Order: sequence, then structure tokens, then C-alpha cells
Amino acid sequence: MSFTLTPLSPALGAEVAGLDLRKPLCDEDFEALQAALLAHLVLFFRRQPLAPDEQIALARRFGAIDVHAFGRHLEGLPEVGLIDQSEPQRDGANRWHTDSTFMQEPPKAALLRAVVLPALGSDTCWASMYAAWDLLSAPLQRALEGLSATHDITGPLVRAIAGGHSVGSLAEVQATWPPRSHPVVCRHPETGRKLLYVNSNFTTRIDGLPEAESRALLDFLFEHVRAPELQVRFRWEQDSVALWDNRCTQHYAVADYRERRVMHRVTVAGDWAPSLTH
Amino acid sequence: MPIEVAAITPSIGAEVRGVDLARPLSEGVRAALRAALLEHLVLVFRDQPLTPEQHIAFAREFGPIKRPPVATSHGALPELNVLDQSDPRGEGADNWHADNTYTATPPMGSILRIVQLPGAGGDTAFASMYAAYEALSPVLRSLCDGLRAVHDVTRSLSKAIARGHSRANLRELQDQLPPVEHPVVVVHPETGRRALFVNLNSTTRIQGLAEAESEMLLRFLFAHTKQPEFQLRVRWEPGSVVFLDNRCAQHYAVADYRERRVLHRVAIEGERPRGIEATCAG
Repeated sequence: MSFTLTPLSPALGAEVAGLDLRKPLCDEDFEALQAALLAHLVLFFRRQPLAPDEQIALARRFGAIDVHAFGRHLEGLPEVGLIDQSEPQRDGANRWHTDSTFMQEPPKAALLRAVVLPALGSDTCWASMYAAWDLLSAPLQRALEGLSATHDITGPLVRAIAGGHSVGSLAEVQATWPPRSHPVVCRHPETGRKLLYVNSNFTTRIDGLPEAESRALLDFLFEHVRAPELQVRFRWEQDSVALWDNRCTQHYAVADYRERRVMHRVTVAGDWAPSLTH
Repeated sequence: MPIEVAAITPSIGAEVRGVDLARPLSEGVRAALRAALLEHLVLVFRDQPLTPEQHIAFAREFGPIKRPPVATSHGALPELNVLDQSDPRGEGADNWHADNTYTATPPMGSILRIVQLPGAGGDTAFASMYAAYEALSPVLRSLCDGLRAVHDVTRSLSKAIARGHSRANLRELQDQLPPVEHPVVVVHPETGRRALFVNLNSTTRIQGLAEAESEMLLRFLFAHTKQPEFQLRVRWEPGSVVFLDNRCAQHYAVADYRERRVLHRVAIEGERPRGIEATCAG
């Protein structure tokens, strides 16, 4: 393999140096990159001035491209999601979340590139849901195992519409993506490791529990995900690229800026309905 | 004279008529009262003008007296716990609690007698911890079933000292009453029913859980106990006496008065609370 890998925290995150992502990867490098992604959950690359079609081509190595349910995209290129914000406070990316868990098969991975950055701020944090699971006590793990939870697009969608970041109407998108359930604890389809699978953007209810119990558990689990031990924080530079495994991570876009920030995202479609069986 | 037991709510509380608590009880009446207590958790008696000695004698009908582990500063007979308050907010009895769970063998029950009433207010509310347990989902019940929690005198004692209700030395009492563990779910020794056994005044920690998990679960369980469906509210009148089963009921002294209120409590010795594993093993 022709690149070097520098882990950034024990839980997740590694910086990859020595690759030019504009060029097609040889099979050996691609396989090594896939293995690195499974081991480190999120990979960071510096100085990768990818054109939109190059970003799409790279993402396609990992699977089919997913077009976002309601987000904006580049004109003529629905594969490239456009994140263009200068008042991010209420937009919802500054909450811990896994992308699009309202889908039956939520995205597998995403490739995000910094195009325009504020002078300061706008880092992104990722958290390992393997670590989130591993840090729960055995009695709580036993209680959660076998439960499922409802994931609903409504909350984030309402915020996206209010912020002008949605191309869909509430009723249309809700009709396309009705609420659905996923297990609270899943196994990663490739590593087989158990991971916590609830997030504060989309998970509204633990199924079958009384409302007050569900609320107490979800509030606790959302709080649990905020432990720094689970996390890595990435400071963007122009043309930095992040590639993450959306099945076993959550992320949080730090909303600490008031200048324009533009990011291009290409999402790899899921081929896994979250489940505890492996 | 036949005693009459009338339930006050479906889950907890009965009013008992036709018995004079000032006189020794016959075997039959004592058995009937015990059966009523097991069924209703809290028995309310009206128009029972007892002396302190008669109050103690009535309690003794049901077992040896447990003297208060923390003596109150309102000197009286050593068997009596005197609750004399005129500014009760935040003093600790205005929290849902069972009595003395910071000891290895909390009382099986307490008998409360109102001695002086404010013009209005000063009710006591009671909650069935059977009902609280049974209202949990199967998932949370099985989580709680196997857990144990720490009970500690510090929180309630610090308040009592700060408010002048105890002349105890905090450090000395902490040494005498080190924290104890009880099951989160106890099996009532007489009825065999399961009851939730954590309370805001004394339970500080659930063992075997991470600290944040323990905080979450305790916070939830304390809030859960506040449902009116589990509760009974007793309005005191001169001469009212209440017998509560401390193993399966919690209570809350409503702090809505600013006049003097005096209540005497006599506690009856209990045994060490048993959890579910002990029952299965035994």
C-alpha cells in the first residue's frame, strides 16, 4: 500500500497521507483504504482538490451513490450534496447524528470535502458507536439488547425547511420516508462488532416501552454519546476530505461560525438494514 | 365489635372503623388489622385520642419497637420520633421516601399519630411501591430485578442537622450508620409481592451500573413514583392515626403550611429486605 495512516484517537479517526484521490486508486490501495476505514471508522485526507466528478468516482468505489432525501445539491449533479451555511446554529447538523437513519438501509458511508471555510471554526466531530456500546454497563446492555427504536425524518426536515436547506415539502418527504424501526443495538455487517444505533436527530422512541421510560433511556443514551472518550475532532482546511463509515459513527458539525461555509458531500448508498444478527 | 375496612383507592389505603386503638387488641382484631395492612398498605384510623404510651403499646402489638436511629431534638419517650415542624419546606419529609432505609433492617411499618395540626394543609401522601413496580415495562422490570442500590443517611441527616431537628454529630452518625445495600426490587416477606425499593432521601447509587446510568435510572424511578395512580392522600384530623407498611409504601409529608405541626411516629422493627434472587435461591 502506498499511503501512511496516523491514528488520531483510540476510539476512531486516522489521517491518511500519500494518496492523490483525484486519480483512480489501484485495487491494492483501495482494499487497504477499505480496511483502514473499518478499523478507524473515519479517515481524513489533506489537500485533495477534487472536482465534483472525481469525488463521485471515488465514492463509487465504495458502492452506489445515494441522492439525499431532502438536501440541496449541485446544479445538474444530484449526486453531490451541497452544504452551504453561514448561520448554522439552528440547522440541525450541530446535533449528534448518523445520516438518514429514517431509511430502511441508511447510507453506508459519506465523503465530505471542504470547499469554502470560515476563517476560524466549523470543525466536525465524529463519535464511535462501538465505543458507545462498549462503555455501557452489562446490565444496561442486556436491557437494551433486543429493543428497537423508531427513526423519523420529521424533526430534522422541519428544521431544514425552516433554514431553507430543503428541496422537498414536508408532506411529500414524510410520505416517501415514513417512520421506521431499527434495533437499538446492531452488529456491523462487516466487522460483526456491536454498536449503539440511536441518534438524537432521528430516533424518537424506543418501541414497546412507556413514553417516560423511552424518554429517560433515550435522553441518557444521547447524553452518553457526548463523552469525549468516544470522539475525534477534525479541523478542516481548504480541500480537506473526510470519509466515514455511517453505520457505526455519529457526527456533529460545530456551529461556531457566522461566515460562509461550503461543503460538498457524496453519499454511498446503504446495502444493510441495521440488524443485530450478523 | 366487628372491624370495618373500606378501601380508599384501588392501589393503596383503607379506612378502618370499629376498633379502639387505646385498648389492647384481641387476637382476632390484631390478625384482621395485619391482613388489612398487607392488602391495603396504609390503614387510616379516625377519632383515636391516644396518649404517647397508648400509641407505643398499639405499635407493640405488631412487633418490637425500633427506636429512631437518629434521635430528634424534641425530647420525649425514646420510642417516639417527634416530628415538630413549622417551616417544613425542604426538610426532607417533603420527598417521596420510605423510613430509615439507610439501616440494614428498616422498619416493617410505622404508626403515625397527629398531635397538633396547622389550620390548613399538612396532609401526608402515600404511594404503593407494588404499583410503581408493576407499572414498569417488562424491560425495565427485568433490568431492576437483579440490581442492588446503596442507601446512605448523609442526605437526610445533613438536612435535619441544618434545620435544628437533630443534635447528632454528622461524622459520628455516619460512622454508626455506614451506607448499606438493598435490592432495587424487594420481595415483601409476607405477601411475596415485588416492590420497588429505592427512594430519593436515602438511595444514592445503583451498584453495577456506570455512574451516569445509575443517575439516569434513579432519576427516572424517583419521577416514576410520583404518579397519582399509585397514591393516596390522607387529610389529618385531630385523633387520626395511620399505620403504614414501610416495606412496600413510600410517603410524602406535604409541606404546604407555616404553622406548627406535630406528629409522633413509632416504628416497628423489620427484617433485612430480600430481593428476587434470594427468593429464588431460598
